[in-house]
Parts: sequence; C-alpha cells; structure tokens
Amino acid sequence: MITFNLNGREVETEAPPTMRLIDLLRDEFQLIGSKEGCGDGECGTCSVLVNSLLHNSCLVPIGAIEGAEVITIDGYCKTEQFQLLSECYSEAGAVQCGFCIPGMVMASAAILSQNPHPTEEEIREGISGNLCRCTGYNMIVDAIDLAAKKGEGLW
Amino acid sequence: MVIKTNTSYRYKRLEETLSRLSKEECQIIAGGTDVMVQHKSPRGTPAKFDKPIVFIDQLKELKQVYKMNHDIHIGACCTYSEMMKHPLIPGILKKAIKEIAAPAIRNRGTIGGNICNASPAGDTLPLLYIYNAKVRLVSAKGERMIEIQDFIQGPRKVNRLNDEIVREIILPEVHEDLTHFVFEKVANRRADAIAKISFAGLLRRDEGRISDARFAFGAVGPTIVRSMDIEKKLLSAAFPLDNKFIDGIVADFECLLKPIDDGRSTAVYRKTVALHLLRHFLEMY
Repeated sequence: MITFNLNGREVETEAPPTMRLIDLLRDEFQLIGSKEGCGDGECGTCSVLVNSLLHNSCLVPIGAIEGAEVITIDGYCKTEQFQLLSECYSEAGAVQCGFCIPGMVMASAAILSQNPHPTEEEIREGISGNLCRCTGYNMIVDAIDLAAKKGEGLW
Repeated sequence: MVIKTNTSYRYKRLEETLSRLSKEECQIIAGGTDVMVQHKSPRGTPAKFDKPIVFIDQLKELKQVYKMNHDIHIGACCTYSEMMKHPLIPGILKKAIKEIAAPAIRNRGTIGGNICNASPAGDTLPLLYIYNAKVRLVSAKGERMIEIQDFIQGPRKVNRLNDEIVREIILPEVHEDLTHFVFEKVANRRADAIAKISFAGLLRRDEGRISDARFAFGAVGPTIVRSMDIEKKLLSAAFPLDNKFIDGIVADFECLLKPIDDGRSTAVYRKTVALHLLRHFLEMY
C-alpha cells in the first residue's frame, strides 16, 4: 500500500511500486491531463510537481512517492495561478495542437514559483525539457514572461 | 521462476537498507531516471525487475555534502538540482550539471546513479575522472574506498558487490587558483540529449610551466578514456605549448580513442570532434 497526497487529497493505492506515476495517474485516478509523449523523460509532456519540484511522471516509480505531495495539471487548473497562466497563454497565442501544454503549464508553474521574475534565458532553461512541435516556443516564452509581469505578488 | 515485481523496500535508515541487502540480492533504485527507461514495459504495466526493489532516494545519510580535510564529500543520492544549489560543489561541476538533461531530470537523477549506471556517455563522469574522485562504498560488514576508474569497469558494469551501496563520492582537493578546467558536451539538443562526445580538461601552471594536466573523454570507448602516461608528458612543459608539442599529444590520444558508430553519432565524427576539443583546450589555456 502506497499513500501520498494527490492534488491536495490523501490517497492510497495497491498498485505495484514499480508502476510508473503517469500510468497510476491516468489509469487508476483517471487524471488524464498529464499526457504520455516519449515515455523516456525526453519530452516533458507528462510533467507533474512532486514536492513542488518538476518531475517527469513517466520516470517515477510510485514506490518512490510514498508520503509525497503530487500536483498534476488536473489539480493545478483549480488555482489562481493557473487562471493567470491560462489567460497569458491565450493572450500570447501560445497554444496550437495543445498536446504539450499540460506539461508546459506545469513547467511554467515550477519556473514562476521558484523565481517570480525570471529572465528570458531562465524561462527557456525552465522549459528546456518540454518539447513542442507547433509553437516554436517563442509564444510560450512570451506567455510565461507575461504571467510573471501580470502576476506581481501571486508567485 | 516467479518474478516478484511487487516486493519492494523503502527504509528510513541506511542501516536497515544495508541489513536488507545483506540478506538478499536486490535492485537498487535511486532517482530511477535511467533504470526506469532500461526496464520500460508496455504502457499501464509496472516496470519489470527480476529482483526485489530497494528504494534509496529517501535516505538522508546519502544526501549530505560536506568538506573534510579539504576534500569534498558528496552524498550519492544528492540530486543534480541539490548539487547545483550547494555552495561546496565546485563551479565546473555545476557547469557540467547544467548540461545534464533538463530541470525535471535534474530534480530526480542522482550523482550516485549516474556513476552506477556507468554509461560511457555519463555526463558527470569525465569531470569526476579528472578530479581523481573516489567512491565510498558501504555494506553491513563495513566500508571500502575505490578510485572511480577502478569502480567503473564497462557499460553498466561496476565494481559493486550485491550487499554494497555507494555512499559518497569524494573529490580530493584541487587547488583551483591557477587551475583551468573545461567541460564540453556535444549533443543534438541542449536539453535532455545524451552526449555524442564529452571532454573534461584540467591544466595548472606554476611560473610558466605546466604542473598538472588531466584529460578525460566520454563516449569514445566502453569507459571514460584517460591516460596518465600522456598526462605525464605535459609536466614541466613551457607554457604556452608550441604547436609541434600539441600535435604530439593529439596524436597520442588519436591512438587511444576508440569510439563506435551508433544511433547518436559516427565513430569518425566522435574522434574528430574529441581531438578538436583537446587541441582547442591545449591552444587556448
């Protein structure tokens, strides 16, 4: 039995400890906001926060999250910070097919929560593990920059 | 044989973990960033291991960084992100860590895992080799120390007994003033790419002459390539080095580097670029 905090709620699972966190989230908890892209930790589409730090949920065996706090896009989308990010992503036109966006938003959350005033270079570094094949990244960078500026005091 | 994928242990203390390892052979998982990819199974099914799992990422005893007798001790389960933030970690190692993967991997992957994975392209390895790093192993029976080049024996092959855990990586003191370090990684993408070639170099000068020279190449052989014999040739050489001398050193390494063709690169490319990195370092510093 593994117990952890998922989007603010204490949960438990009987799934085997070498189950990947992405599979547990999607299959057992029906949290399908986190997508599986490469499954090798190279694309960032499955990004979640574990104890406030960005993680690739495809690489995390659930045995390692005993007692941890996990936040997925499904939980994060209920926050004030998400509302702002959502507005800024729209305003900057930072979405095309949308497949990378749940991971990009979680990476954005990690960047801004650690550094409310990131430079462009820090933003690019922060999303460097997240691949996007449509936007060309610049609009996503603009969206995060906008969220930093508009969100004074929120981060 | 029944594959016991369900058996796993996650202890609060190192002592209990070592006691478990003394009783049965287990698969150790630190961050899991390499091991979970190697043991990937179809979507929705747990990663398959033929041994019980011991998780060690939570062990506080393996997360300390401290200085003792001028040497820097780095707990094997320090993640790359933790090392990036720690004031005792040398700047050049931080620079190398910046080239490792991306934030999400750096939040999980550990230095001990990078060493035990023993990939010829392991990102921290060339620098650890030129630091003359030592690996401190611990088991229920006691401890031992081993030089990193003796610990790593080949791809995914290390000199670790089944009941042992890598506890620390020790960086013996390097007088950093007057010492030039470089770390170069060549890869397809800035983030999350495995190195085609990596190179670490160290040169120290005293009164216009070289007093210490160390070079290590990654991904050009089954283990990191370093040669004490070639390094010795540089001692007492006048600085800057003349071109003929540099040609000789590059030629020495040309015989030593034995890269392979694989999905990431060709042998010819690897060797050419590796030697260019060496030449550039010898000419510039």
